[in-house]
Amino acid sequence: MTTTIILVLISLLALICLLWLAKGRTVSPNILQNPSEHMRAVDVEAFRNLVDPDEEEFLRANLSPPEFRRIQRERLRAAVEYVSCAAQNAAILLRVADAGRRSSDPATAQAAEKLVDNAIRLRLYASLAIPRLYLGMILPGAHISPVRIAESYEQMTRLVVLLGCLQYPTQGISAAL
Amino acid sequence: MSLTYLVSYYYLWVGPHLLLASILVAMFLRRLHRQFPMFFLYAAFEMLQCGVLLGISLSPIGFDPPYTTVYSIGLAISTVIRFAVISELYRHFFRRYPALNGPGRYLFCGSIVVLLVIAAIVGVSAPSTSSNFLFNATYALDRAVSVLQCGLLISLFAFSRYFALSWRSHAFGIALGLGIFASVELATSCVWLHLGYFGDRAVNLFTMATYHLCVLIWMFYLIRRERVMSYVLTPLPKNDLEIWNNELQRLVQR
Repeated sequence: MTTTIILVLISLLALICLLWLAKGRTVSPNILQNPSEHMRAVDVEAFRNLVDPDEEEFLRANLSPPEFRRIQRERLRAAVEYVSCAAQNAAILLRVADAGRRSSDPATAQAAEKLVDNAIRLRLYASLAIPRLYLGMILPGAHISPVRIAESYEQMTRLVVLLGCLQYPTQGISAAL
Repeated sequence: MSLTYLVSYYYLWVGPHLLLASILVAMFLRRLHRQFPMFFLYAAFEMLQCGVLLGISLSPIGFDPPYTTVYSIGLAISTVIRFAVISELYRHFFRRYPALNGPGRYLFCGSIVVLLVIAAIVGVSAPSTSSNFLFNATYALDRAVSVLQCGLLISLFAFSRYFALSWRSHAFGIALGLGIFASVELATSCVWLHLGYFGDRAVNLFTMATYHLCVLIWMFYLIRRERVMSYVLTPLPKNDLEIWNNELQRLVQR
């Protein structure tokens, strides 16, 4: 009887989980109309600096081990913030680009398609990079290089600009990038 | 059996399958059967199964063992088709978002492996109370399958939510209906084993009512016209556009 009760509770939880996940599929029209308002600024150069192995080596050579660990943790915490922001921006851009894919103009649709592709890749890289950055915070000496995030983000930024130009008149989507 | 129970029972048994017929017609007219052939097959099979089982139950055989055998075979076929529908939903996403092809397939295979282990545990863990082997095996399998299907659909919803993917409303409706039905079926298949052969009327009616709800969900999403998402673009000041152009030039030349 206990097993049955547990299984019934699990199925109830599964149902609640399913309905909760399903509820989040709708996009607020406000996000599509003013995407830049929902996006946060991400400085790619600053992020690159935070995850630069040479910079890390320089700090390791010039700081005492306890101080290096403290500084490195701070740097990686900031890097996590950057990645999270970039991933959040990618999610918003994905929604915008998804709408742009239905454009009657083939060039706009193609640019939107590429943007969707890059935004998905960025979300994927972010999901892989964030645990690694956290691991780096636990073990400050461990070697990590989520530079691909920066590259992917830059590539995505280029596509947003291209999409914006093609969709003239449009809004300042790239302002937050 | 009271008249109210009988009316409710036969309505909840036959009603949803009649509604499925309207879904089939709508899908055919809108050529959705080409996009979701497995769901079309599932709906058609459910109708056929209902017709056969209803025929047997109204014949002198009634609900005797031959009925159970046909029911079990039908349930097995229906389960296989439902897996095909879930696979179809995953493929639908991979087609829409080619970038997901690699990670999406890993997620699908990974989820199946993890869920198979959970399903096996769930399948064998609950005790069987009936002496009928076929009956016990059917419900143990049903329970395991419900875990798998429910888990796969939750994974799909979680995946689409994380990647902020937009659903076509038809696919969303199919997935939502199947997900609700799988989770409720998991609960009822556990309870049923304790209550015995087609035991508790309330549970029986509850499962049928859930199926009815799922059919209504499918009807809502498959029969209504899909809303085309559109957003209004407000013009930018001219100087902003120049900055955009400069930015594009600079970024392309980098």
